[in-house]
This record gives sequence, C-alpha cells and structure tokens, in this order.
Amino acid sequence: MTRFLLGRLLLLVVGLFVASVIVFATLRVLPGDVAQVVAGTQSSPAQVEALRQQLGLGRPVVVQYADWIGGLFRGDLGRSLVTGGAVAPELAEKLSVTLPLAGMSLAAALVLGVPLGVLAAVLRRRAGGAVIAFVAQAVAAVPIVWAGLLLIALFAVTLHWLPPQGFPLDGWGEPGRAFAALVLPALTIGAVEGAVILRFTRSATLGVLDADHVRTAAAIGLSRTQALVRHGLPSVALTVLSVLGVQIAGLLVGAVVVEQLFSLPGVGRMLVTDVGRRDVTKVQSELLVLTGLVLLVGFAVDVLHRVLDPRQREAHE
Amino acid sequence: MSPLLPRPGRRAARVALVSTAVAVVSAIALTGCSGSSAERGGDDATVRVGLVLEPTSLDIRTTSGAALDQVLIDNVYQGLVGRSGSDGDIRDVLAAKHEVSADGLTYTFTLRDGTTFQDGKPVTAADVVWSLQQVKDDASYVDSAQLANVASIESPSADQVVLRLSKPDSDLLWNLTGRAGLVLEKAAKNDLSDSANGTGPYEVSSWKQGDALVFARNDDYWGTKAKVAKIEFRYITDGSAAVNAMAAGDLDVQTSVDGTLKSQLEGNGDIALHTGKTTDKYTLAFNDRKAPFTDVRVRKAIRQAIDPKALIKAIGGTGVPQGGPIPELDPGYQDLTDVDAYDPSAAKQLLSEAGATDLKLTLTYPNIYAATIGDVLKSQLADVGITLSVKRVDFATWLSQVFEQHDFDLSMVNHVESRDFGNWANPDYYFGYDNPQVQALYAQSVAATTEQAKDEALRAAAKIVSEDAAGEWLYTATAITAVRKGVTGVPYDGTNSRLDLSKLAVR
Repeated sequence: MTRFLLGRLLLLVVGLFVASVIVFATLRVLPGDVAQVVAGTQSSPAQVEALRQQLGLGRPVVVQYADWIGGLFRGDLGRSLVTGGAVAPELAEKLSVTLPLAGMSLAAALVLGVPLGVLAAVLRRRAGGAVIAFVAQAVAAVPIVWAGLLLIALFAVTLHWLPPQGFPLDGWGEPGRAFAALVLPALTIGAVEGAVILRFTRSATLGVLDADHVRTAAAIGLSRTQALVRHGLPSVALTVLSVLGVQIAGLLVGAVVVEQLFSLPGVGRMLVTDVGRRDVTKVQSELLVLTGLVLLVGFAVDVLHRVLDPRQREAHE
Repeated sequence: MSPLLPRPGRRAARVALVSTAVAVVSAIALTGCSGSSAERGGDDATVRVGLVLEPTSLDIRTTSGAALDQVLIDNVYQGLVGRSGSDGDIRDVLAAKHEVSADGLTYTFTLRDGTTFQDGKPVTAADVVWSLQQVKDDASYVDSAQLANVASIESPSADQVVLRLSKPDSDLLWNLTGRAGLVLEKAAKNDLSDSANGTGPYEVSSWKQGDALVFARNDDYWGTKAKVAKIEFRYITDGSAAVNAMAAGDLDVQTSVDGTLKSQLEGNGDIALHTGKTTDKYTLAFNDRKAPFTDVRVRKAIRQAIDPKALIKAIGGTGVPQGGPIPELDPGYQDLTDVDAYDPSAAKQLLSEAGATDLKLTLTYPNIYAATIGDVLKSQLADVGITLSVKRVDFATWLSQVFEQHDFDLSMVNHVESRDFGNWANPDYYFGYDNPQVQALYAQSVAATTEQAKDEALRAAAKIVSEDAAGEWLYTATAITAVRKGVTGVPYDGTNSRLDLSKLAVR
C-alpha cells in the first residue's frame, strides 16, 4: 500500500510539473499581450512599449518561468499584471463560490444519476426504464448553456422560485441567499453530469443483475431487491466512483460556462476574464491551482478505489 | 433475465424514485424564499446599477477603457471643468470660472472656494498644477498626448491656475473634462489601482473584481450632496442574465439593454425603458494601406453594398445610420447618410469597373460584439459578389493582429470615445487612412479659436472622409436604459462613456 501511495504521489508531482510547463508555454503563444489591453484603442505604439517594459514582459521566457516556479515554492502565487493585486486572496474568494458550486453540482448529479440509473436498469423490460434511458441519453447531449437557459426560464422567470442570476455581495455572509444563488447553476451542471452518471450506473447495474453472486443470493432466499442492494450495488458504487474521478474535470469546465450564464463571481468567470486580458502571471497560477485540485481528486479516487475494492487489493498483494 | 429471480424489484424502484423526488423538492423548498431585499427610498437608499464591461483596474492614470471613465469620472474624480449633459457644453466644476484669451493661447482657471478631497484635505492650486503636469510628462498616462500643446502649467496665485499653449487647441477644454484634466491630491499615498481619493460626490467603498463595484455617498462633499447612500454597480456581461436580473428585481437601473431582449421588460409596470443617444460608432474599417482598398471604387462598392437599416433591424433596432465618421453628438456632425447609400447594383458596377469581380475578404472582429453583425455583412456582401469570411477573435487578439500589426482586410469595432475624429487624420492608426487634405483640415479645426471655425473645418474633413469611403460607418448605437419606478436622475445619453449619477434619487 505504501508503495502504491508513493507511486501515486510521484505521479501527482510529475503531473503538476508537466502541467506548469504546458500552461506557461500556451499562455506565451497566445496572440496579444496585457500591455496592449491596458493601453487600449486610443494608444500609441510608444505608450504600449513603455508599458511592456514597466511590466517586465520583455524579460527572457526562462527567467519568467523560473520566477514563477520559485514563487510557488515559497507559497507565492504571484500578482496580477493588470491591478498589481495578489493572486492568492482573490483566487480563494472565487473558490468560495466555485467549490460549493462544484460540490452541489456533484451532489445533484449523484442524487439524480444513481437512483434513476438503478431504476432504469431494474425496469429495463418496462416502459419506465426505456423512458428514463431515453431521457438520460437526450439530456447528456444537451449543451450546458441550453440546460441553464431552460431552468432559468422555468424556475426563475416563470415560477420565481429561485434567482435568475447573481451572487450576494456579502457572499456566504448571507448563507440563505448565497445557497439559493447556487441552486439553479448546480442543477444545470448536475442535470447534464447526472445524465452521464445515470448511463454508467444503469449499465453497471444491468451487469450485476445477471452476475452469478447476485443470482446466488436470490437463490438462497433473498428478495430480488435485497439481493441487488446487498450484493449488487457495492460493485456499482465502485464503477460510479471511477466515473466521478473523470467527471470532476467536467464539473470545472461546466462551472466556466455556468458562471458566465448566471453571472457568478467564481473561478470560471475569472479565468475567462483574465485570459481575455492576457494577465498571464495570474492565469498561470489560477490554472495550476485548478489542475492541482483535479489531480488531487483523481489521487483520492484512486486511493479510495483501492481501499474499497477487495479485488484490487488482492491483485497487488 | 434469469428465471431464478423473483419479479423485478418494485420496492427498489420506488425507493429510488421517492428519494430522488424528495431531494430535488427539498433543495428547491429550502431556497423558495429568494428575491430582492433592497432597502428603498429616501436618503438611505441603495441603488443597484447593471453595467456590462468592468474596468480592468481602477487606476484612472494608466488604465485605458471607457468602462473606467463611465463610473469614476464625475462620480468620484473631477476636473477643473466638466461636461454638462451630452451636448458638449463645458461647465465649471473645481474651477469657479475659466477664461480663454482671444488668441487662444492662455487659459486662466479661478479655483472654487472650499473644494476638498475625499480624505478631507482642501484642493489647492498646487494639486491642480501637479496633476496636470504629471499627465503631460508621463507618456504612459492615458490621454497624455491631449496636453501636447500645453507649454506651461503655473499657479500665479493661490486661487489661480494658468495654462499657456504653444499653439491654439480648440479641444483643450473638452480634453480637460476627461482623464487629462482630473485633479488628484499630490500628497495622497493611496493605491490608485484599487482605491480612489477624488473630489466627487461618491467614494469607492469596495471593489469585488469580476462582480461588483460599490460607491458610498461622500458625506463631506463640497457641493450638493448625493441623494442616495450607496450605489452598487453589478457587472453582467450576459445580455439575457442582465434582463432577467432587471425583471426579477435584482437591479434598479440597467444600462445598454440588449435590443433583441427588450420585449422581456416591456409591459412590466415597474420598469420604464428610455432610449438615449451615444457616440458609440460601430465602425467597419478597411485596411486602407493595402490592396484592394487602395482603390476608391472598391471602398465605395463595399459601402454601397451594405444596408445599415437591415443591419440595425437585425441587432434589435438599437442604432441609427451614421453615414460618416462624426456622430450626431459631436461637433462637426452633418447628415451624410446619402453618401454611398445602399445600392447593390451600383456596387456591382463599381466592382466590375475596378476589375474586382471575385473579391474574397476577411472580416476580423472581437467576439464581444454580436455574431449577427458578421452574418448580416456576409450575406449583404455576397449579394454583390464579395465572398466574406468572418473571423471573430477575442479582444486581445484583435488588438494584436488588427490594431497593432495592421494584419487585416476588414475590421469591426465599436469606437465609443467622443470626439475621436483625429484617428482619420492619423495615417499610423490602424485604419491606415492617409489623406493630407483631411489632415490639414483637422489641424485647422484643432487650431481654431472659435467654435464655429472648428465646426466648419471638422464638417469639411468628415465629408471628405465619407465621400472618399475611407471606411464604413455601420451605425451609431442608441442605448436603452431600464429604470425601476421611483428611481430618478439617471442619464440616458452617452452612458457608455460617462454615467454621471450625482442627481440619482429614489422616491
């Protein structure tokens, strides 16, 4: 187990390093730079050039990279080229919107996806199962923007149950309003991601319904429900867990779209804005933190999987 | 299915279904009591104002962009002089009066008594001299070039500031109403990028980047104090989110309502829609420095192929045809919509005369503007045999490729700045329009010492630029402002470049 953990940790570190190089390089080949954005459309070439020098954009790329990585090791995420503000506190503030959003989206996805997936499998020969499977197929194909617009039209504009956009100025200082502001965005991501989970759950459940051990359990006198719940669902749970590890990245991508649609001051919207301004020192740190989060979740899922699945333990011991 | 198994587990099905339903319903019920909670009315009112583009930084010195002028000038920062409304008249602000010598070379400002900065210090002539001198001396300051004709800035007595010019500059007073003329405190040490110490009726109380900017009333304001306690500017880039916010009561004022969505607010008894004029010039620039745009027939043909009225209709009606480089609110305006008016058959004729029958062009424009514009232009140009490929890029890419490197055929941008005709007289600008006659007339307009002479020179220059088809002016935007019942004092004209909220009140 120790060996396994060390291996995974090493993978995490290497992953982060590779990501840092890719992120840094990609940002340097994007056309346009922050000096031009700050100077705007009434500027003269001389003014832009002066700004470039002030901002240190003319320094060799290697020096810029070393500066950045060096800062990271000291726990310094750097400063915005546009405002001069420190990246870390702003990122923390935006994460206080995006992480709860991701958590609630995940919860919504699981609550929608897992029970309905099991249901669709159990009812596979009936109209109900077919309808669920069909709807899931359709919803999984819906772009997140459309799902969001439909939910806004129904729950915010027509029924007035939930706010159509925005986040309270005091943030979590107003917990009720902050939570309410995240419900529709979370349902938007949750519906689309949930449909994906539903399909995986359904096929995993279909697999165990016919599995020998479930049939045996039924044969020794358990009801079909008992057999499925006690002996079938644990392995379905493992499948769902692996899918989740992959879908976490999907949740963050969903957050970029949804935060724009609902005007939420989260990481996704900040990233879009900062890339638009070519605030490269800020974007690179933000992206690296996000990459770190995704890799950490992947790591946690791997470890959890290993702990929960007796087959994997035995195979390596 | 295995014959050994009992009938399908209905209980499992029921449990799953019920738990899903309970979870969804409880999530919604928990939050059922949403909606607005604005404290309304009177001196304690908070007014929530929806804007579109957020400034990148609050640094009024070095950060360009109308988004910053829009909120900070008039409300937080002020100059010796300001604009009264959008008609271009100059009013005294920190100055009690100003005098211009007959030769147009000496500007004498008498300072108003009792004006103060928001930190409580009095505004002195030394602060004024220092502020203007800084802008003039530091080329990286926005609009530094606007003080190029100023030779000296001096204070002969404690209540006077005198500007001496090397040559007359009829734009100087106007320029002093903008960035170049703002008065800051010499001794202040605050960080301009996220705070402000101006002289205006509101103070910046907080800025949550990517979301909101909050102003509080300056209770020690030297002039007529603001009638509301707080203004919250919410930055909402998505047009439909903004309309939803207004409809749901999350905003009291919304500027630049998307014309295609305005019907969602019409018929709402709590909301009034007002249409105002702007200097937002949606400009289709030709790369005049290269072929085929070096041929005036091609330029004219493109202008004649475009039907601005159809385009305006497609974007929701929020615009009026422009016809020339100067919009109605600026000096030198005249109706030039008859020049190269929509006439596709004449356009075809011109193209064949020019031997440009199978023209393939690329239109590059920032993706902050509607895709509709590109679609309409593409189909209108196709009607005269021009194949247009449309490339929507992000703004920074546009700045790099089009603005800086001049690598484009056609470009479309909304030039919001008022009185920016000078770009057509600057051959190095990305338009690449180099016409000595226009440059001479423009110089003459700047050097004019009477409004009338200035107007005449600009009018003549603009007519040449339009008749020479230096570019195509698709439309001047009109701005729709949505205002909740009971809110007064909201300006409607030119709100993208200035949003003076000093008279804002809530009944």
